[in-house]
Amino acid sequence: MASEIDIFNEYPLHLDPSSKAISLLPSSSQTATQTAAITTELQELNALHRALISLDPPNIPPPPLPVNPKRSAQITKLRDSGNAAYRKSNYAEAIRLYTYAIEMAITRPGWEPVTLAREELAGLYGNRAQAHVGMQAWPEGLCDAKASVDSKPVGNVKAWWRLAKCLAEMSRYAEAKTFLLKGIEIEGRDSEGGKELVQLLEDVEAALKRMG
Amino acid sequence: MVDWLSLAVPLAYLGVLIGSLATFSSLYRKRKAQKAASLEAWFPAHLQRDIYFSLMHLDPSSQSEKKTPAVPESVLKASLLRRATEDIRRVMTLRSQKNALSALLQRGSVGDDLWQRFLRAEKEMEDEVRDVVAEANAYVPGWGQVIFQSANEMLNNDLYRERVREHQEKVAEERAWWDKKKSSIQEGFMRELNEEEEKGSSGATPATPAKTGEKVPVAPAPASVQGSDDDAVLVEADPSVTSPGSPGSGAGGGKKKKGKGKK
Repeated sequence: MASEIDIFNEYPLHLDPSSKAISLLPSSSQTATQTAAITTELQELNALHRALISLDPPNIPPPPLPVNPKRSAQITKLRDSGNAAYRKSNYAEAIRLYTYAIEMAITRPGWEPVTLAREELAGLYGNRAQAHVGMQAWPEGLCDAKASVDSKPVGNVKAWWRLAKCLAEMSRYAEAKTFLLKGIEIEGRDSEGGKELVQLLEDVEAALKRMG
Repeated sequence: MVDWLSLAVPLAYLGVLIGSLATFSSLYRKRKAQKAASLEAWFPAHLQRDIYFSLMHLDPSSQSEKKTPAVPESVLKASLLRRATEDIRRVMTLRSQKNALSALLQRGSVGDDLWQRFLRAEKEMEDEVRDVVAEANAYVPGWGQVIFQSANEMLNNDLYRERVREHQEKVAEERAWWDKKKSSIQEGFMRELNEEEEKGSSGATPATPAKTGEKVPVAPAPASVQGSDDDAVLVEADPSVTSPGSPGSGAGGGKKKKGKGKK
């Protein structure tokens, strides 16, 4: 029993001398599915290794807190310029900038706190959804708003509104109603944005009635 | 002096008794041991752990080739981190299953085998976690205290990113659906207009109404663009101002829907 922890399946791995990438040597001892699983795992491992190499010595991920402020600052900058473009009704530009910011936030190293990534991405997706709404790109707005409320369901009343708005604009009133009810349940009826949700809900219900 | 003949019967009796008991006990134990050994593992093979150990053992075999250098420590660290991430996933799984399983066991819904397997998996994971902490501390003193924190964040980030990716993957699908739906709404408009024009002036050639029909549905679109432009700007500036905008665009939706309703 004591030796059980020392037992393992050895795989014929190969280290590329220059890139230090690990790969699986072809052999007959594994089935196709096993080989596929190992290969994907090794890809993840190599990606993680590259991320670790870029760190300062001793090349281990720092504890989740405190966060490296550089990336946050860049994301904030991109978001602010996106907001500025949005205010000038330059929606395409705003979407482009928000997309850069999202790219940046989503490629945050994995060991940084997930709550931070959620917070940032909720805001960015919410803003991009709004820019899509401005361009009447309802399907894109819908997906972004969904990503936003999924990232941060509480205290994200604008994203709930945009989500329902996109659905209502596409005449998907039943779905819009479901999300509105959920949003109202989470945000509360009397909060600042809750009233707008209620208002939109009334519109949607009226539309549903007209459709019969 | 001793009557061996009369003693032979009880002795033979004792011999047979002890012999059969010993046989039974040894058979029983052997079977039990076999059963315990053949208990299925709770989890499938720990791939990350296997890779980690394979990397550790890569050096001696590669010496014969002389070409491959020793595995750099950073690769081993990355591999250890992957292993810790998988450990977290397994520990979480065990934790979430424990309550349900013990309740089922008490009610007798599941067999003892399953519980034995579970306990063994729990014990294995304990050893595994201890091993990872020890390894981490061997690379960098003090890493053992934070490696599982990092691994936990990595796991959650992975899960979260997967969800977001799923949402974003739907964009193309939604877009295709909406384009199709939009064109069907426009067709509805066109047909309606055709019918109205045919009713009004039956002498008109079918070509002209079709053309006007094409133009007409374009007309309401810019109007509603403007409408939601305005309220879109307001939303960003101040959420409380949105409400005046929403009825306007709601009417836009209504307009579209009306067209569909008539069709």
